[in-house]
Amino acid sequence: MTMRSDRRLRFWAAWLFLMLGLSACVQKAPPELLQAVETVDRQLVEAQGAEFAPEEYAKFVEHWVAVKGRILSEQDVIRWPWETNQLVADLHKVQEQGERVASAAAQRREAERRSAESRLVSLEERLRLFTTSIDEMGSRVVLGQRPIETELLVKQARAFLEQGSFSRSVHAAQKASELMDEQIDRLSKELGYYADERRVGAWRQMVRRTVEWSRMHQRTAIVVSKADRRLTLYRNGRQIVSYPVELGFNGILEKRYQGDGATPEGQYRVIRKRDHGQTKFYRALLLDYPNRGDRRRFQRARVAGAIPASAMIGGQIEIHGGNDRTLSQTLGCIMLDNHQIDALFEAIDEGTPVTIVGAVNVANSVSVALTGLEQSERG
Amino acid sequence: MKRWGMFVLAPMLMLAVGCAKAPTEKLEAADKAVNETRTAGAPSYLAEDFAKLEGMLNNAKKEIAEQDAKFAFTRDYEKAEQLLTTVQADAVRVTAETAKKKEEAKVVAVQAQQTAQEAVKTTQGLVAKAPVGKDRAALEAIKADAQGLTASLAEVQTAIDAGDYLAAQTKAKAIQEKSQAVSAEIQSALAKVGGAKKGKKK
Repeated sequence: MTMRSDRRLRFWAAWLFLMLGLSACVQKAPPELLQAVETVDRQLVEAQGAEFAPEEYAKFVEHWVAVKGRILSEQDVIRWPWETNQLVADLHKVQEQGERVASAAAQRREAERRSAESRLVSLEERLRLFTTSIDEMGSRVVLGQRPIETELLVKQARAFLEQGSFSRSVHAAQKASELMDEQIDRLSKELGYYADERRVGAWRQMVRRTVEWSRMHQRTAIVVSKADRRLTLYRNGRQIVSYPVELGFNGILEKRYQGDGATPEGQYRVIRKRDHGQTKFYRALLLDYPNRGDRRRFQRARVAGAIPASAMIGGQIEIHGGNDRTLSQTLGCIMLDNHQIDALFEAIDEGTPVTIVGAVNVANSVSVALTGLEQSERG
Repeated sequence: MKRWGMFVLAPMLMLAVGCAKAPTEKLEAADKAVNETRTAGAPSYLAEDFAKLEGMLNNAKKEIAEQDAKFAFTRDYEKAEQLLTTVQADAVRVTAETAKKKEEAKVVAVQAQQTAQEAVKTTQGLVAKAPVGKDRAALEAIKADAQGLTASLAEVQTAIDAGDYLAAQTKAKAIQEKSQAVSAEIQSALAKVGGAKKGKKK
């Protein structure tokens, strides 16, 4: 009995000693906790912590690196179970800190994404309005390569956004917006006179005189409004018919010199009717451009250096039809469908007055589109 | 006499052995390695890894400062040295990985550039065939677009040359998309003309 209890006592003493020994070798950094911190670290990489919460991330990194260093240097240290494990407490702190940084980075990333997205969406909307407006005004060619550069920047801003580069998306959008502003300023400079009441008043006066002449002389007269892109035929002072027309590729501008694609504004006459075989453009009515006023303006512009020194005044401005042939000469003419030029050709004689004006109303398509663009610029 | 010798030699020996030297050279080398990583583009391509490098370097600097502030005999720069060694080793790894990532980005950018170039070439070919039709203004606008697209290709090359592969890739993508849209516009016009010509034969 004594021997048995002695053996039992020895067994329990050995067991206690073994347990004490084992518990004294408690690892300082529990692997699951280390793994949890490493998971947070990976989350931070995914949340682009260094980009969206740089200061907080830098602090986390310093803290995490310091704790890691301690884990490495103290991994062989034996600690008794009753001793406080500061490393575990610090690892918990690092984990919490990392979670806070990840949450802040994710929130800021989302906020930046939303801000960049909303900015881009309104820019894309503005670009749509801009494109529609310049097409309506027929002023796209005036702007050269600028519209495409703007569109490319907007597309690039979208691509940056899709790749998560929000700041670069905002930057590209900003550049596109500035480019659009610059083009609107140019259009205002070039076409602002369409909204000028005095200028429109003068055009209206020209139209009135032409219609009055038609009434007085019981003859036909033609009026072309560039903003409306319409040709109207009057007989005896009364409107007979009105047709839509195409202008030169820069038709909306004031004609300044040969090859600028602009359609001249002024009072002209049909000096020659060109029938089939006499023109490349089905049938044509040749106008007496340049008239005296055109020559005067051209000389003034040349003296002022507003046009290239080698520029010529040009000519051969016609009202014509069009087959599917090359229209390389259409650099400022007025073009009708063939059946319309047929009707017009038969209705008028040589000497018929042709008045070409920018617009007949202040609220014309050009001034309205321009106002819309200027408002979008201010907005 | 022997005792006197002991009194003189012992402190000298302690000074020689006990005064640890700050790892200045190691610190300079680590600083240089981190700067090289920065120059290689790590802040853009491996931002988090780069931040960790900087974090370790800062910790090492702090540790050195802490030890510097201690009494000469109790200074121990071993921990700082360990950190600096890790910084240097990691910097080499990060620089290599950055170069790899950069190369990958370059490949993507160059591919996008080639695709954009082909798309623009197709557009230019179609512009040459574009039907003039009635709308000269539309044709001039298309020509201006094609010229603008061609000019923008140069920007892609500039971005590639500058190592800004993301800008190159996004610009190339934009050019390609727009080129395809312009080509589709011309093709549709060509189809209409073709249709009209067939109609006339009847």
